[in-house]
Amino acid sequence: MLNVFEFFGWFHLSNSVSLPFLDIALPIGLSYYIFQTIGYITDIKRGTIAAETNFYRFTLFTIYFPKLLVGPIERANHFLPQLKRKITFDKENITEGAKRIAWGLFKKLVVADRIAIYHFKVLSTADHQSGGTIFLACILYTFQVYADFSGYTDIALGTARMFGFDLMENFKRPLLAKNVSDFWRRWHISLSSWVNDYIFNPIALKHRYWGEWGVFYALFISFVVIGIWHGAAWTYVFFGVLQAIALIYETATRRARKKISKKINLQAYNVISILITFLFVTFSLIIFQSKTIGDAFDIIYKMFTNSGKLYLYPSIGIFMITGCAIMMIYDLQEEYKIVPFSLLSNKSWLVQQIAYALLLIYILMAGVFDGGQFIYFAF
Amino acid sequence: MSWIQKIKQEELPSLLFKTVMFLCILFILDFVFGNILRNLYSNQKPGEIYRINYSMDSTRADILIFGASRANHHYVPENFLKRMNLSCYNTGRDGQIILYNYAILKSVLKRYSPKIAILDLSRDEFATDQQSYDRLSALIPYYKTHPEVREIIDLRSPYEKFKMISHIYPYNSLIFSLIMGVIESHTKRKNVNEENGYVPLTEPCYKHLIKDTSYGITDLDPIKIQAFESFVKDCHKSNIELYVVVSPLLVEYLHQNVSLKIAAGIAKKYDVPMFSFTNIPIFYNNDLFASDGTHLNDKGARIFTNMVIDSIMKDQGMNIRKEILGNRQNISNN
Repeated sequence: MLNVFEFFGWFHLSNSVSLPFLDIALPIGLSYYIFQTIGYITDIKRGTIAAETNFYRFTLFTIYFPKLLVGPIERANHFLPQLKRKITFDKENITEGAKRIAWGLFKKLVVADRIAIYHFKVLSTADHQSGGTIFLACILYTFQVYADFSGYTDIALGTARMFGFDLMENFKRPLLAKNVSDFWRRWHISLSSWVNDYIFNPIALKHRYWGEWGVFYALFISFVVIGIWHGAAWTYVFFGVLQAIALIYETATRRARKKISKKINLQAYNVISILITFLFVTFSLIIFQSKTIGDAFDIIYKMFTNSGKLYLYPSIGIFMITGCAIMMIYDLQEEYKIVPFSLLSNKSWLVQQIAYALLLIYILMAGVFDGGQFIYFAF
Repeated sequence: MSWIQKIKQEELPSLLFKTVMFLCILFILDFVFGNILRNLYSNQKPGEIYRINYSMDSTRADILIFGASRANHHYVPENFLKRMNLSCYNTGRDGQIILYNYAILKSVLKRYSPKIAILDLSRDEFATDQQSYDRLSALIPYYKTHPEVREIIDLRSPYEKFKMISHIYPYNSLIFSLIMGVIESHTKRKNVNEENGYVPLTEPCYKHLIKDTSYGITDLDPIKIQAFESFVKDCHKSNIELYVVVSPLLVEYLHQNVSLKIAAGIAKKYDVPMFSFTNIPIFYNNDLFASDGTHLNDKGARIFTNMVIDSIMKDQGMNIRKEILGNRQNISNN
């Protein structure tokens, strides 16, 4: 099915073969539940779970509405037992779910959609923009993708929680990753762990006699699959290959990097590692966001050759920077517990309520609710 | 204990109480911040928000210019005052179309009737395009205070009236612009170099003008066509001399301008003069007068404004002659 729908156009079959209503019939969330059901069947074959005999329960497991559009790719051994459990009214589920949805809305409406306007305008007029502006748009795109995807996931997890279900966590502050391997342990966890369990491990195990080369081979195949999972385009394949190369490099140089880290101040080493990883992710997302590999190189070329001023009106920049800053402060606090005080998870009920009310107020003030936000480019 | 009993006895009353408390906090904060924003909005110093405020609530100019960015950057009010001895205000706004212009006209007509209105039309004025409805968000702050524009704002979505429950929503995405707009030093910023609504484009055109090879519009929006006709009718009813103008095109377009043909038909029906400056050779592919592919710079705008004034004066001269001839005819008949 995935082949028919996603790769029909890729191999230019649509030029020679005509499948009626293909565009209309494309099922939503196809990639998510195809992978989910492959995992389910594999688990049954491996004997780790028993086959579900109740049709309705199986259908609910496959297309449970909060995770249908953007995942997470659930595992049968995690989600099916929850469907068999008796669901009771739980006040905590309602409040925690609602809080999660509010935070997801903030990421989506205030951060992702705001940056999207700027990013789209800059890249659609890239010929007229300075290299600095294009670079800034690409940096912001990394925040945009993270806020968009993790925001949707927060909304999905929050909704499911309100109904009494716990879905898998899909993000764990990926922009604070210290290397690419760490990044993939934090980014789209349900996909990377799925690929790890059903593709990487079997291949690595099968080729264990190759030594390190077996691991490299398994990494390469796994990340090509991750790339292709995103869609039928060479840019996604290239994106996957790039990740695989970075991971192979990291695996091969693990010992050497450990030696270097001992010679440098640990905090400085960590900050540099986070920055390098962030820049690598930003670079690979240039390929991810482009229609063709040629377009990606064109953006990179313009980044280094286009001269001119940085295009960023204060009223546009402040929205984007404030949104990213709030999101990253939250992540930093979650990761490192920098201050012992937290507004959104404060022990005082009133402080917490006011903090969430202010969050909603800020969404009303700074969220993007339609396409009416207009950046006028007089180039 | 069944879960229904559990809800009744323990958790639900507490949850309901906390929800009500949370909503109260939310409404209070929304009210307070909404009013602060409203205050900031109405006290803006020159800038984009000031211009729409002035257009809706204050202007009493003899001539009003309506349109999108090509109206805002192409018509110099100073020239109208000097040559026609009539005050002029430019209400044009970047990225807007006929629906916005009609809303401004309706608000103006509540207060007074200008002598002349100039409506600058774009090539794809009536194209089907959701963005042009989204951009009507510029009018949302007036939803509660200007009932005449509600019908137009409601075209954005059927939920607009419900969104207006929030006091903050009308000022969505404006907070930083509003703060900057009340800081005195910020009035020196580039975009505020305006004169009676006209914002000159001073940036030179640094890229070679490229011809437009797009296919142009495919679908026409009947609501926009109707809005144009209503604009023309309302001007006619209020005895405003309306001139429909098409600013110069700076690049070659390969597609046909369907919108302008329809506009010409409606203008003819109501005997409204329509001047097209699309093929003026001095502007065509001339970097000297262009700011970009679709806009004239200040130098070009001043030349173009004089051309428009010439056409209006010529038309008015003809009208006066017609009037005199008509009077003579009446006298001789008597």
